[in-house]
Amino acid sequence: MTKSTKIFKYVGKRLLQGIPIILAIVIINFFLLNLAEGDAVDVLAGEAGSATPEYMAQLRKKFGLDQPLPVQLMVYLKNVLSLDLGYSFRHDMPVNELIFDRFTATGLLMTSTIILAVGFGILLGLLAAMRLNTWKDAVITVFALITYATPLFWVGLMMIVVFSLNLGWFPTSGMTNIAAFYEGWDYVVDVARHLVLPTITLSLFYLALYTRMMRASMLEQYGQDYVVTARAKGLTERRITYVHVLRNALLPVVTMAGVQVGALIGGSVIVESVFAWPGLGMLAFESLFARDLNLLLGIFLLSSMLVVVVNLIVDIIYCFLDPRIEVN
Amino acid sequence: MKKILTSIFMAGSLLLGSGAVYADKSGGTLSFLVQPEPPTLASYVSTSGPIGLVMPKVYEGLFDYNNDGSMVPILAESYKASADGKTVTFNLRKGVKWHDGKPFTSADVQFSVMEVLKKVHPRGPNSFREVTSIDTPDEHTAIFNLKKPAPYMMRSFSAYESPMVPKHLLEGQDIKAAPLANKPVGTGPFKFVEWKKGQYIRLDKNKDYWQKGLPHLDRIVGRFIPDASTRTAAMENGEVLYAAYNAIPNIDAVRLKERDDIDVTTEGYSMINPMALIEFNTKEGPFVDPAIRRAISVAIDRRFMIDTIFFGYGKPATSALSSNFKATNLHAEMPNYPEKGDKAAANAILDKAGYKRDGNGVRLKAVLDIIPYGEDWRRAGEYLKQALGDIGIQLDLRYEDVPTWLKRVYHRYDFQMNVNYFYQLPDPVLGVHRHYGTDQIRKGTHFVNSSRYSNPKLDALLDAGAGEPDAAKRTATYKEIQQILADDMPVVNLFELEFLVVYNTKLKGAYDSAMGAYGSFREAYIDD
Repeated sequence: MTKSTKIFKYVGKRLLQGIPIILAIVIINFFLLNLAEGDAVDVLAGEAGSATPEYMAQLRKKFGLDQPLPVQLMVYLKNVLSLDLGYSFRHDMPVNELIFDRFTATGLLMTSTIILAVGFGILLGLLAAMRLNTWKDAVITVFALITYATPLFWVGLMMIVVFSLNLGWFPTSGMTNIAAFYEGWDYVVDVARHLVLPTITLSLFYLALYTRMMRASMLEQYGQDYVVTARAKGLTERRITYVHVLRNALLPVVTMAGVQVGALIGGSVIVESVFAWPGLGMLAFESLFARDLNLLLGIFLLSSMLVVVVNLIVDIIYCFLDPRIEVN
Repeated sequence: MKKILTSIFMAGSLLLGSGAVYADKSGGTLSFLVQPEPPTLASYVSTSGPIGLVMPKVYEGLFDYNNDGSMVPILAESYKASADGKTVTFNLRKGVKWHDGKPFTSADVQFSVMEVLKKVHPRGPNSFREVTSIDTPDEHTAIFNLKKPAPYMMRSFSAYESPMVPKHLLEGQDIKAAPLANKPVGTGPFKFVEWKKGQYIRLDKNKDYWQKGLPHLDRIVGRFIPDASTRTAAMENGEVLYAAYNAIPNIDAVRLKERDDIDVTTEGYSMINPMALIEFNTKEGPFVDPAIRRAISVAIDRRFMIDTIFFGYGKPATSALSSNFKATNLHAEMPNYPEKGDKAAANAILDKAGYKRDGNGVRLKAVLDIIPYGEDWRRAGEYLKQALGDIGIQLDLRYEDVPTWLKRVYHRYDFQMNVNYFYQLPDPVLGVHRHYGTDQIRKGTHFVNSSRYSNPKLDALLDAGAGEPDAAKRTATYKEIQQILADDMPVVNLFELEFLVVYNTKLKGAYDSAMGAYGSFREAYIDD
């Protein structure tokens, strides 16, 4: 069997294994969320100022909340299997639509953050390891420590104060310029300008993590026997670093990135809240307080599916980085 | 001759001048803060605050109200009440069209009040409870037939309180589930365009608005920004021009006020009349005895709470009614409401009632629930813990999320005392009666009589006050009501909240309506 057919079979097998895991997650989440006191009707009625008990009973009936829990679960599972995530009573919209809308914003922020954080993290870690115990190493290490230790919301607010209020380079918040309603290329530029501050804020934290990890991983690999062998063969330090050490040192970083992509899919409540970025994190956060369980379950389902997929991708990247690792 | 020519010339230039001013006003986009994001846009089903910020720009009421209390004709040009007060005739404006082009007629008014507001609106059943039917002799006349005179009804015709909705888009449907909720079609100065969830709601100018020359603005955009500090930054940066209902916290508002381009006002809330208060469980637990509740009211330093926690914005309560009801002569100052608190007097009340202190100086222990609407209320709870600790009432604070808290207080009555605030609205019948009447003990309904206080004498007075057309008699009735409440204290009123409007000074013309942020903004313009 060639390598590529092997990979295809492996992917298929792993995806099949993912299905029972995702189902289990849905069922556990369903019961967990139903433990919370109050339901969507209470919140809606509370916000309305006053509502009669008859009205609330009527709403519960309409939403199907008057059914016993196992029945509600079966209805939900049936819907999920037909790719329908149900209806958000609070937003008066299908959950599919709501999540898709927010997922673009989250996807944009997530992708740019991961590229920035992993890219610069690897670069800085590499630099620090190659210049071990010089001032460059010291500066990078201190920078990583500080950004790692600073709370995200504070970094976000300081970014706004410096780059929006004082320098006026970037807008404070949102995803588009509300007053303008740009179209075409102007729209792309506009969104990009709004993306800068949240991306930097969110990546600073992860950047520090990858820098430290990459540095440690490089140093560990430098001490391995194969490096001694390579030197004995007469390879240049350059070649040893870039062809041999780097590839091996990347493995733990890729593992970590895989885990964090999973976490980022859920969105970052803090960054989304500070920059009013319309992502999934805020949606999940708000729907928890509104007891909008259908929506919350939908977001959890999407995240768990993506985590399964991302883990799979990470495993495949492994076997390209290290030919000794094989899929089967 | 020369003189005449000069005056003609001057008149001409005056005309030109006014034309120029007029031209300056039109155009521009107003971004303002809507906090939090509304659940739906059905203002005829829900009175939720953020809906009120958006929808009065799209739907209109029969009247608007100015800051001086006068009525501004909107969809009704005038009204006339019969001598016995039992029929009220409205002359409706001609030539008004819905945003979809259909004409607005008396049938819409009849349908809005009888089928929508009276049936599904949270407060409509109360505002229009005396209305038995509405006659529509022609397209522009609506005659309300009342069981009893209802003077308070005339204060509830604003776009926020009683929006007029299109009959042709709701008739024959389940009104609460109709698609109109999120695709509103009104008669107002702005048309609904789109709602981008998590970002903004966009309204564009209604070019066919019945009032020629209005609105001035081309567009209004309501923005949602979850973080309070970022909202403040957006205001500072000029990205939003208007923020009401404390979207900008007081702590930031007092700082922004110092800037040349930003100002703060407390006007625009007189129809809302928010009152901070403590509800007590009067049926079980430690607060069954009115003497303790009186002692608590006497012990609290209201001035301190206002100055320290709310940055000076608020007025100490002096009765169960807001002092804004002085305008209609209904408010009367009552005993047991000392502005600065009198701990000695409070201790004396408790001593006399026989509540002895134990070895630690504690007379009784209780749990204080706190309205989960932000940090200010938490601090208010912390203050109360200290202040009441001084008179021997030891409090534990409980702060839960909104659904849990609502369940506890209004469904299960599983509370002892609860810090809260109520809108008293433009008339006590609309906003205050729901707190005290026996008929308002409605398990499972939010923001009504959760104290379960029941007093037949008070019930009779409340009934009399609601239907009394004679102003002097009404004043006397409400004085008696306030006396009973100051004695029994089923609710301790703390202070009249003064919400703020923080605005950029280049936004003009948006401050005359007593509805404030719940107004139409039809005369607002941007002066660059």
